[in-house]
Amino acid sequence: MTVLERLSSGTMYAICGVIVAFVALVSLLFMARAWRAGKAIGMDPAKMRRAVTASATFTLLPSVGILLGVIALSGSLGIPWPWLRLSVIGALHYETQVASAAAEQLGLELSGSAMTAQGFSTIALLMSVCIMWGMIFMTIFGRRYLARLSRGGERKADSAGKPGFGDLAMTAMFIGMVSAYIGSYLGAFISGEGLLTFRGSWTPLLVAAVSALAMAGFTALSERRGLKWLDSFAIAGSMLLGMIAAVLAGQ
Amino acid sequence: MKKTPYEDYLRSTHRLGRAVSILTLVMLVGAPFVIGGWLGAMPDLAAALRGFVSVGLVWTVSSVVEFLVYTPMLGAGGSYLAFITGNLINMKIPCAMNARDMVDAKTGTAENEIISTLSIATSSLVTILVLAVGVALLTPLRPLLQSPALQPAFDCVVPALFGAMAYKYFRKDVRLALIPLAVMTLLFTLVPSLTSSTSFMIIPSGAIAIGLAWLKFRRGQKEG
Repeated sequence: MTVLERLSSGTMYAICGVIVAFVALVSLLFMARAWRAGKAIGMDPAKMRRAVTASATFTLLPSVGILLGVIALSGSLGIPWPWLRLSVIGALHYETQVASAAAEQLGLELSGSAMTAQGFSTIALLMSVCIMWGMIFMTIFGRRYLARLSRGGERKADSAGKPGFGDLAMTAMFIGMVSAYIGSYLGAFISGEGLLTFRGSWTPLLVAAVSALAMAGFTALSERRGLKWLDSFAIAGSMLLGMIAAVLAGQ
Repeated sequence: MKKTPYEDYLRSTHRLGRAVSILTLVMLVGAPFVIGGWLGAMPDLAAALRGFVSVGLVWTVSSVVEFLVYTPMLGAGGSYLAFITGNLINMKIPCAMNARDMVDAKTGTAENEIISTLSIATSSLVTILVLAVGVALLTPLRPLLQSPALQPAFDCVVPALFGAMAYKYFRKDVRLALIPLAVMTLLFTLVPSLTSSTSFMIIPSGAIAIGLAWLKFRRGQKEG
């Protein structure tokens, strides 16, 4: 049995399923408590029902998009682990990037054929550790932070209504991250087989270009044609189109 | 002084939220070790630490911002649940905002607290259900998904992601993207061996982009 086959075995489903079931129970518990508290403070049950129905319908399409993410990651990490990560805590762009960084530290590529047992357990650990901080901050500071806000009134993003440096810094941070990866694909193509020979692998560049074009298409349809629901599929759909390009290029 | 039922609810929500967050953390961090034990290969902690230094710090900063910005919007119950269940920006936040707008709840009110929690709990349950059904249907397709013909696709997951993200983020500020992209391309061209350390190169690339963003911000402030 290969590592990838073991990663999609019943044992893996059991381990991941327990955590998914726990989080489902937690969600049910919070829901029931909020419903009871809402009734206790005199909220209209029809209003609460409307919020539940609207949230369920709102979530359906993005959830299918997230399922596409599970498919995208299943070839390198098996099905159960991406299922757990994307059901519970993660987000597709985060999971792929962190998994790839962990693989790199082990001298591996993020692919099913290259996956080793230790490679997987290390990747899984890094995926868990890198995204747990929101939960930790909420656990340590959540109560005090919310109490301070309720004393000081509603928090304003900026007194003049302008975005602060935080927004720009976040965008810049992601631009830096993406630049490093796109730069590496360009560099590998230009000098991968000898300095400035332009004979290196062009498949990653092709895949990135197709994926970017697809993203441009999704964005244009969303912004110019008003098809906002497409936003939920944009990243996963663009990735899948880019990956299809890799298969066609490999033929 | 006697607490109101809503104050009691908030206090117990924080208690419950902290308890389930800690339990979830233990399970999520413990799972790789349990799986490692079963596979017969524990995680390489040194490699995980290097990986954390290269990419984890970016996500830690991102988590601080998410905590500071989204917690006031979501209230106590919604925030605990949102940080446990993930997919914040792409799903939970817009979902909760949509529900809040529908019932016209204002930030910081009891109504907002209840509606956000109901919304995020519903959203999490729907996602869990859709993914469980989807995964059950995917399992019979496993041999196809793992076939050699499809391996090039799965080998290119990362370029596919960064292609999509490049469009998404570069269009926000093309001029800001030009210099880090040019510097990184030049570095990877002149030193091709750096390709095996791409995630480390995020640090200088991010520093250049943030430095340029700061200059732009200061200029905007002076002009503005």
